[in-house]
Amino acid sequence: MVKLTMIARVTDGLPLAEGLDDGRDLTDAEMYKQQVKALFKNLSKGHNEASRMSVETGPYVFHYIIEGRVCYLTMCDRSYPKKLAFQYLEDLKNEFERVNGAQIETAARPYAFIKFDTFIQKTKKLYQDTRTQRNISKLNDELYEVHQIMTRNVQEVLGVGEKLDQVSQMSSRLTSESRIYADKARDLNRQALIRKWAPVAIVLGVVFLLFWVKAKLW
Amino acid sequence: MGTENPGRPNFPMRPPPGPFASAPPTMTPFSSSRPTPPSAPPTMTPFSSAGPRPLARFSDQSVPPPPITSVPPVGGPYQQFPTSPFPSTAQSPPIRAPPEGQPPFQPRASQVSASSVSFPPQSQVPPVPMGSSPQSVNFSPSGVNVPQPPTGLLFSGPRPNIQPTFSPPDSSYSATKSNFQPPFPGYPSKKPAVSQAPSPFPAQQGSFMPPPPASSSPFSSQQGSYAPPPPVAASLGYQSRGQMQHPSSAPPIGGIQSLTEDFSSLSLASLPGSIDPGCDHRTLPRPLDGDEEPSSFTKMYPMNCNPRYLRLTTSGIPSSQSLASRWHLTLGAVVCPLAEDPEGEEVPVINYISTGIIRCRRCRAYVNPYVTFTDARRKWRCNICALLNDVPGDYFANLDATGRRIDLDQRPELLKGSVEFVAPTDYMNRPPMPPLYFFLIDVSLSAVRSGMIGVVAQTIRSCLDELPGFPRTQIGFITYDSTIHFYNMNQSLAQPQMMVVSDLDDIFVPLPDDLLVNLSESRNVVETFLDSLASMFQDNVNVESAFGPAVKAAFMVMSQLGGKLLIFQNTLPSLGVGRLKLRGDDLRAYGTDKEHLLRLPEGSFYKQMAADLTKYQIGVNVYAFSDKYTDIASLGTLAKYTGGQVYYYPNFQSSIHGEKLRHELVRDLTRETAWEAVMRIRCGKGIRCTSYHGNFMLRSTDLLALPTVDCDKAYAVQLSLEETLLTTQTVYLQAVLLYTASCGERRIRVHTAAAPVVTDLGEMYRQADTGAIFSLFCRLAIEKTLTNKLEDARNSLQLRIVKALREYRNLYAVQHRLGSRMIYPDSLKFLCSYGLALSKSVPLKGGYAAAQLDERCGAGFTMMALPVKRLLKLLYPSLIRIDEYLLKPSAQTDDFKNIMKRLPLVAESLDSRGLYLYDDGFRFVIWFGRMLSPDVAKNLLGADFAAELSKVILSEHDNEMSRRLMRILKKLRESDPSYYQLPYLVRQGEQPKEGLLLLVNLLEDQMGGTSGYVDWIMQIHRQVQQNT
Repeated sequence: MVKLTMIARVTDGLPLAEGLDDGRDLTDAEMYKQQVKALFKNLSKGHNEASRMSVETGPYVFHYIIEGRVCYLTMCDRSYPKKLAFQYLEDLKNEFERVNGAQIETAARPYAFIKFDTFIQKTKKLYQDTRTQRNISKLNDELYEVHQIMTRNVQEVLGVGEKLDQVSQMSSRLTSESRIYADKARDLNRQALIRKWAPVAIVLGVVFLLFWVKAKLW
Repeated sequence: MGTENPGRPNFPMRPPPGPFASAPPTMTPFSSSRPTPPSAPPTMTPFSSAGPRPLARFSDQSVPPPPITSVPPVGGPYQQFPTSPFPSTAQSPPIRAPPEGQPPFQPRASQVSASSVSFPPQSQVPPVPMGSSPQSVNFSPSGVNVPQPPTGLLFSGPRPNIQPTFSPPDSSYSATKSNFQPPFPGYPSKKPAVSQAPSPFPAQQGSFMPPPPASSSPFSSQQGSYAPPPPVAASLGYQSRGQMQHPSSAPPIGGIQSLTEDFSSLSLASLPGSIDPGCDHRTLPRPLDGDEEPSSFTKMYPMNCNPRYLRLTTSGIPSSQSLASRWHLTLGAVVCPLAEDPEGEEVPVINYISTGIIRCRRCRAYVNPYVTFTDARRKWRCNICALLNDVPGDYFANLDATGRRIDLDQRPELLKGSVEFVAPTDYMNRPPMPPLYFFLIDVSLSAVRSGMIGVVAQTIRSCLDELPGFPRTQIGFITYDSTIHFYNMNQSLAQPQMMVVSDLDDIFVPLPDDLLVNLSESRNVVETFLDSLASMFQDNVNVESAFGPAVKAAFMVMSQLGGKLLIFQNTLPSLGVGRLKLRGDDLRAYGTDKEHLLRLPEGSFYKQMAADLTKYQIGVNVYAFSDKYTDIASLGTLAKYTGGQVYYYPNFQSSIHGEKLRHELVRDLTRETAWEAVMRIRCGKGIRCTSYHGNFMLRSTDLLALPTVDCDKAYAVQLSLEETLLTTQTVYLQAVLLYTASCGERRIRVHTAAAPVVTDLGEMYRQADTGAIFSLFCRLAIEKTLTNKLEDARNSLQLRIVKALREYRNLYAVQHRLGSRMIYPDSLKFLCSYGLALSKSVPLKGGYAAAQLDERCGAGFTMMALPVKRLLKLLYPSLIRIDEYLLKPSAQTDDFKNIMKRLPLVAESLDSRGLYLYDDGFRFVIWFGRMLSPDVAKNLLGADFAAELSKVILSEHDNEMSRRLMRILKKLRESDPSYYQLPYLVRQGEQPKEGLLLLVNLLEDQMGGTSGYVDWIMQIHRQVQQNT
């Protein structure tokens, strides 16, 4: 069953349309929406260039396709047939390109094509029930190379950027720490020197002092 | 030249604002020292009969007999006492540094002009003596170089004498207020003596006389009352001084008068020949011109948002808490964020999605015309909290030769006080919702009988094309009696499927989808439903009403999206949660401490429900129709906390009230509506918003949640000083509304206004805005009736007025011998009349019997939301005589304006030979005089003109007169489309109908234990004088 549907521009992650009353009877709809937003942000940075992908998250799966710089994403139950989900996205894509194709690049405000939500709503209903005749026949068609679509985990996907960040952070930390180490080593060296020669110097000093005092008194 | 015959009868009571608009400038430079001579005749003559009154009337003061012949203009009791803060003569205008940051119209220029250019030499001659003036006046007439209004730009042209110019100084004393004020039949004798005579002439000549050179002592000796100006004024900070003295810099329009004089006064001395102290009611100030927007404010700060969006109770913000505490009229503002824009003045919409909207880091204020760029324009200083912010690279711009940003023309937000930003994604926590209308319709027996269902169904059907937001608009219906009926409107159905839920204790929604459908898709089903709705229930005999469960059901259906819920309720809720008792019938509660409980919602259900609805962005409008008690106090709570509105049609009959319901429902459905909105008002440093009044729910301390808003809603806010002393010279307010437009765009509407900080109490009073004050008072008073007795609310209102006037009197009492005059600033001349009107308005008036409880509560809810203009119209409705217009042989549409002479609301205004139209913005009452020619009645009412008028419905007949009447009504309705005025016909002497419909609304008359206008003034005056 389709839970969420979102359409966004890949170049800057700007949301273009979203399904009406999405997230109904979904307990943490907000959290999933946040994940979707993070995903879009990742996409706009150029990660994950695969144009079709499924991303697992908790009990659900995000399916998305990227076409013409627009990302169509839907969230379904894990049990929902992948084939249908992609068919659904394909339907959205065709209609969206037909209606708004020309204005996608120039859209300047979020949800510029919110009117598309009625179509999303309508199409969603068609795909709601997997056992309708229409959907079963679709399942039987081998329309897509659905099997080749990669499935990854959301943590993994969202984590790619994070890991890179971590590495660079670590290396920079390494540099600064080694510098500190060098400083410290120099300091210790000096201290060791002092510790080694200080007693000798003191003894000599005392001896000279005695000599001097002696010479003075007598 | 109007001035020639000041005494002429038959003038309109008040001159239209126009005349002064032009006139005031003339006086500006020395305004403070000079009064305006009466400008045009109309101004001064109130009632035709009055003519010049014998001067003798004002016995109380000793005066030198008027030197002159001139007909004393009807000066009436109003007089102005000019202040001359700068005693020095005109020739040496006070030196004043132009305050920084002051707007461009420069006072300075005007001064110069005044001194150097304007005075004809002669004029300087006769500085002092007053009485003599007429002569002096005359000689100057050469008139050539009459200095014209030194207003910023146009002082130059010698004007034709038409404009009243400065009168000799003496006249100033008399300063007949007449210009602005309603007519005064008589001229106050004493001052008149002095000033009178001259004034008429100067006006004609347009000559300009210098002010008295120095202090006015000569006069003062003659009359205590004209003392030199209060020292206070002189010691003002330059800023306020500037305003006082050089009003020219300020408002070129109407508002000026308030600056030119110090105060107006009303003589309350006893009339000769009468024993009672009293005054002539004809001379009292009346708001017959309706609301006047404060123009001084906008002129001083031209970049402010228009006053239709935001009005302050006084445009002078007090500089210290002690000053604020002496201003008893409540410091505050009235905000109407979506006020209707006249054609061509739409708020510009700006898209900064790509760069981000510029806001202050600390206070989150939006960039506006008053921010200043510093540090080579790399930083900007927030005008609200004074923090220095960085200018983002995209926003950086160089200055041109004149010091303006070169891109200023492309940046409306730096030019205009009102702009709209397109909101980026951060401002939405879900995609913009579609406009959603949900109807909850009572179909119990009484609803069927009244015919309400049919009218509602037809009206909704006729509006389907005009509902905003096509093609996303969503729509849904539930009907209910003792059970709840849901309708499946799926587009695939031929006609809607009805589902009945009778389990009221555990309401559930029988269908997950299709109860709320997209209008454009399910259009046919919706139409079929509406067509059959009335007939479906025509035989329903169910008298119960499961109101509470039905609201809950609607809530469950709508909670996903939010939207507007329209409830049509015809009986007292009798089943399930939210069931109500007939508590209004309990007479024992009235007049006791428990009385106010009747005006509060019963139980917690309604408040809780309202809170839930708001949380899910659902706004409720309640339409109540019952002839019996329906506990509007409880039902209205749903509307009050969800930003909605209550419409109450007592005793609804579709044949009579159908038209009204139809228009108002159409308006409700088709007006531009803002969805899922929140509003916040930010104030400059040192000022704080303390409380908010209106229909909304407070989400946090300063965030108003408004599930739906439209142009007919206004919100009032009270301000207070946070610091003991304000150090800034200007205070800024920013009202920001974040909303979703019907087209699916999320927008931020920003209104910014600046107001000067003043150190002088007199200045605060001068800058007062009666309209805003009463908007606020009205809300405070209504809120007070929810916790106290009606009488307490009225008393506290009166107390505020008395305190304010007393404080004002104290300001001047020392310098002027006021005797038994009542003084008030010109800006507050209607304080008393509106005060009286408010205490006689439906929510506050009388005891329990004066108005039905439901009516009272309904009016209370309505008044809590009304914008300023409409509220004032309701408080002081217009009364117009129309028979003359109807009978005129060839009345053109353009003389329509002429007939709109509003009459004072006293029984005396009604002539039994006339036909009158009373209009309070909510209904018309057409009053047929007893001696009205039968022809007129016959033409207007058709054959049955002699019948009982309550049965007659006004409709157009085939004759010119009837068409003309309909045209008038149409015109009046068009001027304010938010409510439909249903015409009620009443014949003189037809009791008790006449009393209920019209006489009780003649609020200046004494009526059943309430005081009349004169008494009210006397009462206030007496209280003002106590303890002074």
